[in-house]
Amino acid sequence: MSGYRVGVDIGGTFTDIVFLGDDGAIISKKVSSTVDNYARAIAEGLAQVFEAAGMAGRQVAEVLHGTTVASNAILEHKGARIGLITTKGFRDVLEIRTLRMPKLYNMAYQKPQTLVERRLRFEVDERMNGEGEIVRPLDPAEVARVVDRLVAEKVEAIAVCLLHSYANPAHERMIKEIARKRAPDLVLSVSSDVLPEIKEYERTSTTVINAYVKPIVATYLERLIDDLKKIDVKAPLLLMQSNGGLTTAEAAAEMPMNIIESGPAAGVVGAQALARQIGLSKIISFDMGGTTAKASLVENGEVTRAEEYSVGGGIMIGSRLMSGAGYLLKVPAIDLAEVGAGGGSILWIDAGGVPQVGPQSAGALPGPVCYDLGGSEPTVTDANIVLGYINPEFLAGGSVRLKADKSRAVLQERLAGPLGLSLERAAHGAHLIAASNMMRAIKAVSSERGRDPREYALFAFGGNGPLFAAGMAQALGIAKVIVPPSAGVFSSFGLLYSDIEYHFSRTHRRLLRAVGAAALNEAWGVLEEQARKRLAADGFRPARMRLGRQAKLHYQGQSFELSIAVGDGPLTDASLPELEEAFGQEHERTYGHRAGKDEPVEIVSINLVARGIPELPRVPDKVHVTGEDSAAPAPRQAYFGAEHGWTKTPVLRRADLKRVHPGPCIVEEYDATCIVPPGAAAGLDDFGNIVINIATGKSAPRREAAAAA
Amino acid sequence: MAELAVDPIEFELFKNSILSVADEMALTIHRTTYSGVLKDNMDYSTAFFDNAGRLVAQGFTLPGHLGSMPSALAAIKQRFGEDVNPGDVFVLNDPFDGGMHLPDIFIFSPIFVDGELMAYGGTICHHTDVGGRVAGSNASDSTEIYAEGLRIAPMRMYEKGKRNDTFFAFLEKNVRLPVLVSGDIRAQLAACHIAETAFVELCHRYGKAKVRFYMNELIDYAERMTRAAIAKLPDGTFSFADHIDDDGIDFGKPIPIKVTIVKQGEGIRFDWTGSSPQVKGAINATLSFSKSAVYCAVQSIIGAGIPNNEGVFRAIEVVSPPGTITNCVLPAACAARGLTGFRMIDVLFGALAQMLPDKVFACSDGGNTGISIGGYHADRSPFIYVDFTCAAWGGRPDSDGLDGISNLYANMASQSVEITEIEQPILIEQYEFIADRGGPGKFRGGAPFRRSYRFLASEGVLQVRSDRRVFRPFGLYGGEPGRPSMNYFTPKGRPTKLIDSKFTMTIRKGDLFSHEVAGAGGWGDPLERDAWRVLKDVQNEFVTLEAAARDYGVVIDPARLEVDVQATTALRARMRQARGWKAIPSVVREPALPQAAE
Repeated sequence: MSGYRVGVDIGGTFTDIVFLGDDGAIISKKVSSTVDNYARAIAEGLAQVFEAAGMAGRQVAEVLHGTTVASNAILEHKGARIGLITTKGFRDVLEIRTLRMPKLYNMAYQKPQTLVERRLRFEVDERMNGEGEIVRPLDPAEVARVVDRLVAEKVEAIAVCLLHSYANPAHERMIKEIARKRAPDLVLSVSSDVLPEIKEYERTSTTVINAYVKPIVATYLERLIDDLKKIDVKAPLLLMQSNGGLTTAEAAAEMPMNIIESGPAAGVVGAQALARQIGLSKIISFDMGGTTAKASLVENGEVTRAEEYSVGGGIMIGSRLMSGAGYLLKVPAIDLAEVGAGGGSILWIDAGGVPQVGPQSAGALPGPVCYDLGGSEPTVTDANIVLGYINPEFLAGGSVRLKADKSRAVLQERLAGPLGLSLERAAHGAHLIAASNMMRAIKAVSSERGRDPREYALFAFGGNGPLFAAGMAQALGIAKVIVPPSAGVFSSFGLLYSDIEYHFSRTHRRLLRAVGAAALNEAWGVLEEQARKRLAADGFRPARMRLGRQAKLHYQGQSFELSIAVGDGPLTDASLPELEEAFGQEHERTYGHRAGKDEPVEIVSINLVARGIPELPRVPDKVHVTGEDSAAPAPRQAYFGAEHGWTKTPVLRRADLKRVHPGPCIVEEYDATCIVPPGAAAGLDDFGNIVINIATGKSAPRREAAAAA
Repeated sequence: MAELAVDPIEFELFKNSILSVADEMALTIHRTTYSGVLKDNMDYSTAFFDNAGRLVAQGFTLPGHLGSMPSALAAIKQRFGEDVNPGDVFVLNDPFDGGMHLPDIFIFSPIFVDGELMAYGGTICHHTDVGGRVAGSNASDSTEIYAEGLRIAPMRMYEKGKRNDTFFAFLEKNVRLPVLVSGDIRAQLAACHIAETAFVELCHRYGKAKVRFYMNELIDYAERMTRAAIAKLPDGTFSFADHIDDDGIDFGKPIPIKVTIVKQGEGIRFDWTGSSPQVKGAINATLSFSKSAVYCAVQSIIGAGIPNNEGVFRAIEVVSPPGTITNCVLPAACAARGLTGFRMIDVLFGALAQMLPDKVFACSDGGNTGISIGGYHADRSPFIYVDFTCAAWGGRPDSDGLDGISNLYANMASQSVEITEIEQPILIEQYEFIADRGGPGKFRGGAPFRRSYRFLASEGVLQVRSDRRVFRPFGLYGGEPGRPSMNYFTPKGRPTKLIDSKFTMTIRKGDLFSHEVAGAGGWGDPLERDAWRVLKDVQNEFVTLEAAARDYGVVIDPARLEVDVQATTALRARMRQARGWKAIPSVVREPALPQAAE
């Protein structure tokens, strides 16, 4: 009787479940999400698989989970009623935010509703300075009064954020103790525990979000564990964090701010793991679904992370410059660039007579016109139907039939007619424009960070990712596209590849030349102790703990930092100039320039990433999808631009690619369709990935051009 | 060449590409810049021009820079004509030769493809200091340009790839923080470099002829879009005037700013005639800055996501007589002309509110207050703290004005209090909303805040540029004006006193300066405000109990914090009768405008 590890990813419409057996067998299951209680769909979905496969709950060795419970609570303002305690004179920091608005020229702009109303924000008359010295002591009697008032206001949680508490947490600790005594049942979220880093707005916002979702996440996890027990699943439950690492249910309930963007992270981690398996250290992951497309960079085999992000900030491309949307969370998260382009994105013509794609989306309801659920606006999926890319008879393995004639009619009426183009030319144009919008996400994580996308492989998944990937790779000069097995449910698949991981950080702001190695060793020592404690609690022996140190550095006066890896073992005074040099090199690589040698470099914060390495490898070398052996359908006409015209295009199953096929061809699977355009060729590697090689002749002159420039 | 025709799909793809080049330039500056003014206030812009110097695409842009780039590049072209070579980089900052005010340094690099001049990349950054008599080079009380800092005529900072050491030596000797300024210039150069790499690649993808053709088409496209949007606006003539309290030199002498909009079909004209002659204080705006204000206002009402380029400029006419505060000439001082820009924006929206009563907000807080604190530490190393702060939007036809928000004309971020305190000898003691300051209205004007600075070094210079003390932010359609801006000074160990709105003074250790931003104007009759909204404001201490009754006629039981419905109805009836409106006043000002100006 073999054991299984199970990945479960909750999305807005579907909950994706993937079972991975010890022998490499993959079973996937899509069930509708149960919005009233997400835990129910999970237990039901598992039970269905047990029944179909003749399996028992005790065969499940581990449940790995990505969830939107926390982010939904924020977006729908359904979090806890919380109070906030701040330094006197600063109770409005949370609401004033950074003053910035995320859009220009928009008089109708509304700020996101604050998570703690002003009347529940209380001040205490205390003050620290930036050195951590007490300027004005805190009066315990005042704290007691404030706590009592919050209790009288019936808050469920209290967030505490005092100025400069990262430098000296004494006052925050006093408040914590007093609150524990006077209101032992209240949930507490204290900034010096949550995020001991400088910048009061970022710290306050993060601490508040943590408090806001804490009761909801705790309840949800308790319920889920109970429901799983009922079907005899008593295996450990691990949660995906925004940073791409797993955490225990217990730690997630304590610091739920870490699991807020847990869904999108899993796909990137899966891409990283599979790429490592096939010896690729540089990939760009590309995940496209029904409403958005997301890109992320994996470099030297490592995912890239952003220092902070905004929950509900919408599309991230713009926000790279225009911050201010959503709710700011300063927690490391896999760095994703997101654009509002998906299968449901609406095609339209602007006032200047130029075709546009999105950002409005027909969503899942009414969805594209071809769904025949009341949609009246042409969408990207309709264009793909017209082009022959999507088989109207084979969505979700044929369980949904699409109306191709409706797609053709609406595209003719809304796009081709007004533009004076043939139907296929208009549809192809829409396809290209959608691709060009998504290419901005790819550029955002590559060329805008000083990385040349042509040096990377494109790793495509999500329901629509494999449909666009090869075409985008051609336009970007990317030579190789990888489409993993189960591409359409890859986020749950990715969960299986992740390890337990925690991030620790602390503001430690000094000139590198003025700080001694001893002080840095001591500061890192404190973080390492925390990390070891956490991992030991999760059951890891010291030998299975991996600790990696990074420092955030900048030139003095700069307000943006770069993260530099610091080697293992104690630092010596000789290693500090090496660190400074490594920073200079990274600055030059990222921005194309660096300052003179005598310009002082400042260390801003120290960071530690702690991983728990499981005793045994958790993923078999080779995996295989069960139950995909139906015969391939007949070839069909597909359109690949004026140059090629309509082309009779073979339609294949993944297994058919054991022999390399030249493009054009279409690979149809249960959960995704992969397009191999003319000029490209697709085959399978030893691990079941589709590998598309793009003829890169086209990009050669551009390479030269770049070199000449 | 005549063979080329617009392929709408290829055009859209080209447009995406070239706009992303401009954005990538902006990101480069954002990531590499040193100073808070650039990083947090985002006081920079990037742009892309064709070889004739016509603006094709602008990346992220501070609204105040919308009209600035073309004038600057025109000055370069006028000075150097055809004498432009690969490897050249041009620079300027002189307001009377292409610039706006001295801290804004423009850098342009010509882009050659196969030896042919095809385009220019351009950047503008507000630098922390360019010398002059007051640290930060922002003083509002200079009276001539010569006091304001280093004037850079259009010149080459690189010639055929060779660094102009003379230029850099002059620059570094004349600014207070040469490391910061050089670092930010490097960021600008990096952005120009990105522009070149990306543009050359674009030419190789599309071919030079097509790139030229589509750059031209992008301009025409923007013009078509703009004209189509303008055509939808109501025709007519709309005039509006407001005042700056004074220029900080001629105390108590109001400075009128007036605009007249003539809208006819697809054409629209903005005429600043009637605005004050240029003034002694450093708040004079160049024509390019007055244009920026107009373009910002137009973008805000048509809001169609039109790329900002030459095509937009063609569709919008801006007129301002030379020698005025909206089109200044030598030797006007202009460092602090931001103030005039904000007043121009207030006036533009005042006029547009008459054109589009259901779309435009009441007057915002009056724009940024500029506060700078500079001096020397004990070891004679300099410190300069520059902060621009603003807080509130006017009430809107369907919702309250925002509390704690950047002005629409300058999407600036605040600087972290904690960062400020570890970098500067300053302790910020308050940063909080003030009750009863937003103009009452059916939709209340935004609440402003108070920021207090305690000075910790032994001696320094505090320079403040604020306004809206006398001429308060106007309300619309019965909404009342916002409450005035205030400055308080508490010398160590002595009583607090009210001080001027614009000043430069010496401060010493332990002194406390407190600034209160003006409240924004209200929109609509305050007696029609939903009582529950007033109650909510009272609960959240944006409005006091007394003001709920006095300003809104809403009676709230102080113990239970509930609306007394009967008493409210009665009070509102009495108040309506007492004020005796015959019609809803469209603009509510305080003080009333002098007859001559309206």
